[in-house]
Amino acid sequence: MSETVTFKLNGKDVTVPKGTTVMEAARRENVEIPHFCWHPGLSVAGVCRFCMVKVEGRPKLEIACNLQATNGMDVKTDTEEAKSAHKWALEFHLINHPLDCPICDQAGECGLQDYYMSVGKYQSQMTRPKVLKPKMLDVGRDLVLDTERCILCSRCVRFEEEVTKTGALGIFDRGDRAIIGTYPGEKIDHNYQTNLVDICPVGAFTSRDFRFKQRVWFLKDKPAVCPGCSTGCSVDVYGKPETRSYFRLKPRKGEANGHWMCDKGRHMYSHLNQDVRLRTALTTDAQGRRKDTNFAGAIEDLGKRIAAVNPATDVALLVSAQHTSEEYKSLFDFFVGELGIKKVFQWREPTEKIDAFDGLLYRGDHNANTSGLLSALKEAGLAAGLKNEFDAVASSGAKIVIAVTPEVPSTFPSFEQQLNRLTELDFVSFWTLAGSVADNKKTKHAIPMKGFPEKKGTFINHEGKAGKLDSPFPCPVADGRDLTEIIAALKQWRHSHGSR
Amino acid sequence: MSEHNHKLNSNEPAPAFTPALRKQIESFLTRYETKRSAILPALHAIQDELGWIADEHVEILDKEFGLHRVQVREALTFYSAYRQKKPRPYHIQFCNNIVCCMLGANEVIDKIKGHIKKFEEKGKESPFGVEGVPCMCVCDGAPAMLVNKDRHLKVTKENIDSILEKYASLKSGV
Amino acid sequence: MGDTLTKVKITTAFEGKPNARALKTYVDNGGYAGLKKAFTMQPGQVIDEVKAAGLRGRGGAGFPTGMKWSFVPKDDKGPKYIICNNDESEPGTFKDRYITECNPHMILEGMIIAGFAIGANKGYIYTRYDFFEEIKWLETAIREAYDAGFLGDNILGTGFKFHIDHYAGAGAYICGEETGLLSSLEGKKGQPKLKPPFPAISGYLHRPTIVNNTETLAAVPWIINHGAAAHKTMGTEKSPGTKLFCLSGRVKRPGVYELPLGYPIEKLINEDAGGMLPGYNIKACIPGGSSAPILTAEELKGLTLDYEAIAAKGSMLGSGAIMIIDDSMSMVELLKVTVDFYHHESCGQCTPCREGTGWLANIMTGIMAGQGKKDDLQRMFEISRNMEGKTICALSDAAAMPTKSIVTKFGAEIADFIERGKRA
Repeated sequence: MSETVTFKLNGKDVTVPKGTTVMEAARRENVEIPHFCWHPGLSVAGVCRFCMVKVEGRPKLEIACNLQATNGMDVKTDTEEAKSAHKWALEFHLINHPLDCPICDQAGECGLQDYYMSVGKYQSQMTRPKVLKPKMLDVGRDLVLDTERCILCSRCVRFEEEVTKTGALGIFDRGDRAIIGTYPGEKIDHNYQTNLVDICPVGAFTSRDFRFKQRVWFLKDKPAVCPGCSTGCSVDVYGKPETRSYFRLKPRKGEANGHWMCDKGRHMYSHLNQDVRLRTALTTDAQGRRKDTNFAGAIEDLGKRIAAVNPATDVALLVSAQHTSEEYKSLFDFFVGELGIKKVFQWREPTEKIDAFDGLLYRGDHNANTSGLLSALKEAGLAAGLKNEFDAVASSGAKIVIAVTPEVPSTFPSFEQQLNRLTELDFVSFWTLAGSVADNKKTKHAIPMKGFPEKKGTFINHEGKAGKLDSPFPCPVADGRDLTEIIAALKQWRHSHGSR
Repeated sequence: MSEHNHKLNSNEPAPAFTPALRKQIESFLTRYETKRSAILPALHAIQDELGWIADEHVEILDKEFGLHRVQVREALTFYSAYRQKKPRPYHIQFCNNIVCCMLGANEVIDKIKGHIKKFEEKGKESPFGVEGVPCMCVCDGAPAMLVNKDRHLKVTKENIDSILEKYASLKSGV
Repeated sequence: MGDTLTKVKITTAFEGKPNARALKTYVDNGGYAGLKKAFTMQPGQVIDEVKAAGLRGRGGAGFPTGMKWSFVPKDDKGPKYIICNNDESEPGTFKDRYITECNPHMILEGMIIAGFAIGANKGYIYTRYDFFEEIKWLETAIREAYDAGFLGDNILGTGFKFHIDHYAGAGAYICGEETGLLSSLEGKKGQPKLKPPFPAISGYLHRPTIVNNTETLAAVPWIINHGAAAHKTMGTEKSPGTKLFCLSGRVKRPGVYELPLGYPIEKLINEDAGGMLPGYNIKACIPGGSSAPILTAEELKGLTLDYEAIAAKGSMLGSGAIMIIDDSMSMVELLKVTVDFYHHESCGQCTPCREGTGWLANIMTGIMAGQGKKDDLQRMFEISRNMEGKTICALSDAAAMPTKSIVTKFGAEIADFIERGKRA
C-alpha cells in the first residue's frame, strides 16, 4: 500500500499520495492556482513565480508547483497576501509584453488575458518604454515565433529536452534581454511541433496553419479520437458551428498519448471541410448519365442493382480500416450475414510500413481501427490479416463493388491512383468523404459519409484499447451518413421491396 | 517572415583553430564529470587564442567536439566574458560600479572614448576599445581597469594616458 | 562575549610574509597541521568542531557552516563534492582575492578537511575568470599540493583521497549564488536551482555538495588546529571568530582588515584606516556589499561589525564589504549604478527579478534623462517590495533592499533631482 499524506487546502482536508505537490493536489480538487510555467507533462521549473500560496507557519509565500504536501500542512491559495502576489506576478509579466491582442491568435485562450480577468484587474504602473525583441520568426513548418510575447516560462525548452529529446530550443542572453529561440537559422524539424503552440501560454509560439484564420471564441471543441494512425490519440476537434467548418485539432490528455499528439494528426480536420468533401450522392441512369441525387435516391439505385444480382458471387466489399467497430459490425452483419457475400477485401495502402514507429506516438499503420476491422472480419467468419487486396478486387469477377474508402485521403498516398483503378471496374459504389470521387468523371455511384467527429463509435488502437467517439458535430454535408445508417437504409429498402 | 533569429554576424572571417587549441579543447571533454562542463573552458580557450568567438566556432564545437550548439550558444550569450565580435587589439574593461564611480571612473571612461573617437574621425582603427564592466572586486584600488589581461589600479584622468601609451600610441595620426 | 578588539590573523596569516604563497612557506609556518589533526579525528567530530566553533558562512549569507556540513547524508556512498566559491563579485568585496594572494594553500587545506568531514573525494575551486593572476596562483598551489602528497589518492598515507580542480567562471555575478555556481560548473548558464532540494542533499549533478565561500574554508584549518573553544574567544557570542572586512572609499588606507567580529566600525574607519581623506566627509555607508541596505553617517555611531548589530540597524554584515560613500557622491548616481548592476546581472529565470530589475533600471534611465516623475520614488519602493521574497534566489532581494533603503533615506535628494530635471 503506498503512503498518503493529508493536508488542508483552503480549509478542506485533502489526502494525496506522498510526493504529490500542492499544485497537483489542487488540480485534482479543482482548486485553481494561477500558473504559467508548470505543466503536468513536464518537469517543474518554478520560474514564473505566479502560483504562490500561503503555508501556515512559514514566513514567505511558497510556489505550489515545487511544494510537496506533508501531513498537517495548512495551505491557503486565497489570502490577501497570496492575491497581492498574484497581481504583482501579472504586473511583472505584462510590463514588457507587447499589446498585440488585436493581431494575436492567442487572444481568447491566452493565459495573460484570462488571468488578468480572474486574478488581476489592477491598474498598471508601467509607463516606461518596453523592451523590444524579434517578432514573426519562422522556426518550423508550423511555427511562428514572437520572442517579444514570450514570457520565458521555459515550457517549450523543457518540451524539447524531455519529450522530443532534441534540445532544439534555448533561452539565450540574460536578464530582461533573455530571448527564446532555436539555434539561429535553424528550424524545428520533428513531427511534434504544434505541441509547442499548445503549451505556450501566450502567443509566442503560434501555429502557421491556424494563423489569422479564426478567432477562437467562435469555435466549439468536442472530444474525439485521432483517425490518423493506430495509436489513437485523444483529441479535441475544433469547429465553427455557424459555418459547419473545422479549424484544428488539439491533444486531450489520454491513456494512449499522454498530453501530446503528433503533427500528422493536426491535419485531421482539413478533409472534413466542405470544399474538399463529397457533397451530394451520385447515381448513373440507364443511359450512363451521372446525376446528383439525395441519399434516398442513392439507396434506391443501389438497392435495385443488388437485388438484380446474386450477392454471394456478384457483390464485393472493399473496406478500409478507418471506420468504427460498430460500423464494421453493421456492415458485415448485413452483407455477409444477411446477403451471404463472400468477396470481402481490405483496402490498405501499398506503401505502408506497418511496423514503423517514431518512438513517441506516430505509427506506420495509418488507420485508426485496423484492430477493429480484423476482429470484425474474424467474427464474420472471414479470413483476417493485413492484406492489401486491390488486385484481388479487380480479378474477383464481382459485378458490383462497394468501396468503403479510407476517410482521410492524405493518409493513403495512393488514394487517387486506387480511385482511378476502381472506376475502371463495371460498377463501383463509393461510400466516402472524398470530393475527388465526384471530380472523377467515371464515378457511377457515390454516397457521402460522415467524418470521425460527426458520428458515435469506437476505434480500437494498436494495443487493443478502445477510443470512443461520442460527441458528434453536425455533419456539414446534409446527406452524409455513417455506415450503420447506410446499412439501416439498405435494409429498410430491401424490406419494403419484399426481400428477407 | 524573418528567417534568422538573433544571429550575430561578424564581418570578420573566423580564424581557424590551431592544433594546440584543438588539443586543449579535447582535454576539456574528459576532464570534468560531464562533457557539457567543457563548454565554458572551451569558449575561454577559443577566446584566449583567437580573441573572440565566432558562430563558425560554435559550429565546430558542435560538429567536431560533440558539444550541443544550442547549449554552447546559451553559454556564449549568457556570460559577459565571451566576445562575439572581434575586439580591438587592446580591450579595456573599466569598472563603473559604486566605488570606482565615486572615484571618477566615468570621467576616465569618457576620456578613453574621446581618444577612440579621434582615431575614428581620422578613419583609423583605434588600438583601444572600452566597455564599462561591473565590480572587478579590487575596490581598495579604485578606479580599476583591465587592459586585456593586465589589471591597473588607481586609474585617473591624470594617469590614464600614460598607462595607455605603454600599449599603443595615442597619436591618432600614426 | 569574546574579545572584539584584539586582532588575530587567521585567514590572512601569511599577509606580508616573503614568498607567502609558496608551499614551503606555508608548511614551515604550520600549514597543513590542521589537516593532519583532522585525520586523527572522526569525520563526524570534525563537523562537530566546526559547529561548536560557531563559524558562519563568510560569503554573505552567514549560515552556520558546521550545520550546513551536517546536512550531507552520512550514509551516501558518493560521489560528494566540496566547492570553494571563489566567484567574488559582490560590489565592494575584495577579500577572497586577498586570501588567494596571501595564502592559497589555506584554501586547499580547508577544502581537504571539509572533504574529509563530509566524505567527499573531489573539490572544485570556482574563481571569476578575470582574476587571471589569482587563478595562476591557485593552479600552482594545487600542483604543489599534489607533488607534496596533500592531494591525491592516498593523502599522507591515510588512504583518504581528495582531488581538486579549478574551474573559471565567465562574468556572471549570479554564479556567486551557490546553485548558480553549480549550474555553471555543469556547463550551463549560471541559473540558480530550485530549493528544495538543497545542495547538501542534491547539488552538483544531483549529488550531495557543500558550497562554501573562500574565506569560510580558509578559516577551517585554524579552527581544527586550535579548537572550537579558542575560536569562540574571539568575536561575539553569536558571531564568533574573525572576519575579513573590505574597506573602500576615500579613507586614507582602504584595504582588507582581518578583525574580530564585533569590532567597532568607527575604530576601523578612523584609526585603522586613518579616517577620511582631507576635504571629504562620510555621507553614507554600505556595510555589507551593494546588496546591503544603506546606512546614513549617523547610523554608524556606536555600530559594531557583527551580524546581529548590523541587522538590528536594518542592514546586513553580508560579505563584510564596507563602502564609505562620501559627500562628493550623488545618491541619484549611486541608485542608478546600483539598479543598473542588478539589471545587468539578473539571470532572467524568474519573472519578478527579470522584469523588476529591468523596470527599476528603466525608471532610473528616465530620471537621468530628465523624464523623472514625482511618484517614481514611491513606485520604485513598491516594485522593490514586491520583488522580495518571491524568487528562486536572493538576487531579486539584493536589488530590492538597497533600492528601498536609498529611496527612503535619501529620497529628498533624489526627489529634488527629479524636480529639477537636471542631469547629476
